[in-house]
Amino acid sequence: MDTNQLISVLSRGAGPAPTSAVPRRLIPASVAGLMASVLLSASLLGLLSAESFLQPITWVKLGYAMALALAAGLLTTALAKPVSRLGGPSKLLFAVVIAMVMGGIVTFALVPNADKNAAVFGQTWLSCSWTLMAFSLPALLGILLALRTLAPTRLTQAGWASGLLAGGLGALGYALACPESSPTFVAIWYTLGIFLTGLIGRLIAPMALRW
Amino acid sequence: MTEEKAPHQAEIRLKPLWILAQSGDEQAYAESLALMARQLRGYFRRRMPALVSDVEDLVQETLLAVHLQRGTYDANYPVTAWLLAIARHKLVDLWRRRGRRESLHDDLDDLDGLPMLEEHADVHASRDLSVLLQALPEPQRQAIELTKLEGLSIAEASTRTGLSESSIKVLVHRGLKRLSKLVKE
Repeated sequence: MDTNQLISVLSRGAGPAPTSAVPRRLIPASVAGLMASVLLSASLLGLLSAESFLQPITWVKLGYAMALALAAGLLTTALAKPVSRLGGPSKLLFAVVIAMVMGGIVTFALVPNADKNAAVFGQTWLSCSWTLMAFSLPALLGILLALRTLAPTRLTQAGWASGLLAGGLGALGYALACPESSPTFVAIWYTLGIFLTGLIGRLIAPMALRW
Repeated sequence: MTEEKAPHQAEIRLKPLWILAQSGDEQAYAESLALMARQLRGYFRRRMPALVSDVEDLVQETLLAVHLQRGTYDANYPVTAWLLAIARHKLVDLWRRRGRRESLHDDLDDLDGLPMLEEHADVHASRDLSVLLQALPEPQRQAIELTKLEGLSIAEASTRTGLSESSIKVLVHRGLKRLSKLVKE
């Protein structure tokens, strides 16, 4: 078959181009990844009590995770296309992280000296980032598989973005089981866990995203 | 001088056709793909002088990718930029598969430096797609043959096979996807 024949094969009955091809792949993968993280939290750690959801800190965690997943999701959407602008979503992503870090610094300053240690380390600092990262891995797998069916051409950036998106989704599930009560803790250890997931995405993307 | 003008002219010719193609105009789609094929040929030929026999294979592989990924084109950007990004990805992928034997002196950053020049040439790939078509699972092959080679409409192919119209569409899409994988092997 020569190229002209291929062209007639491709164009015949081709119809219009599919619309919103990217969200149609990324949204189901993200929802599935979020569900995996919630299930892991519920089965391995046990969900927080109903009263915990009356405390603002629980909503700080959920809000941070959600905002980060949203910003990283926009960035991943842009990177699923060969040509797109990344400035807006990247700035949003930085803004979310900076807002959380600032919040962590301010609350750290306000905490009495005797409680400063607890504000940073809590009970679970050793396991928090790792567990969060582990709970993010199903989401990362799903998102990379979804991206493979699209057209990412900037692979390391796409890897970072998918990892951060997965990290945000993992954090969302993890926050439902996390007993910590300090914004400073969240700013440090959640951010680290999400960053680690981003790093894994960045490292495996060049191999994982071949299409 | 002509080198600087070339990509611009290519865009001016391609963009209106491509916009029509994206909205479902088959004739415009075929013409766009033909223009793209010429640009791709020029692009690849300049970047893989030692692999001239592979150029047409890569052109076809890229056209399949263009077809499967046309949903990722955003009309706010030049089509040639979109095409170039896909072509570059396919070229790097080929080099990786070949261990980049012949391109060791070629810096990847140089890839975008050269403009896309059109090239009319031998359009025969060394690999025969009609042979590859035989390697597809029967339903996918049949769906492609009926709608793409015999030129039946989706509705006609549906009555002929007894399958629903949406399954025909899915089979064609999956078949082309599988074909684009086979083309790489």
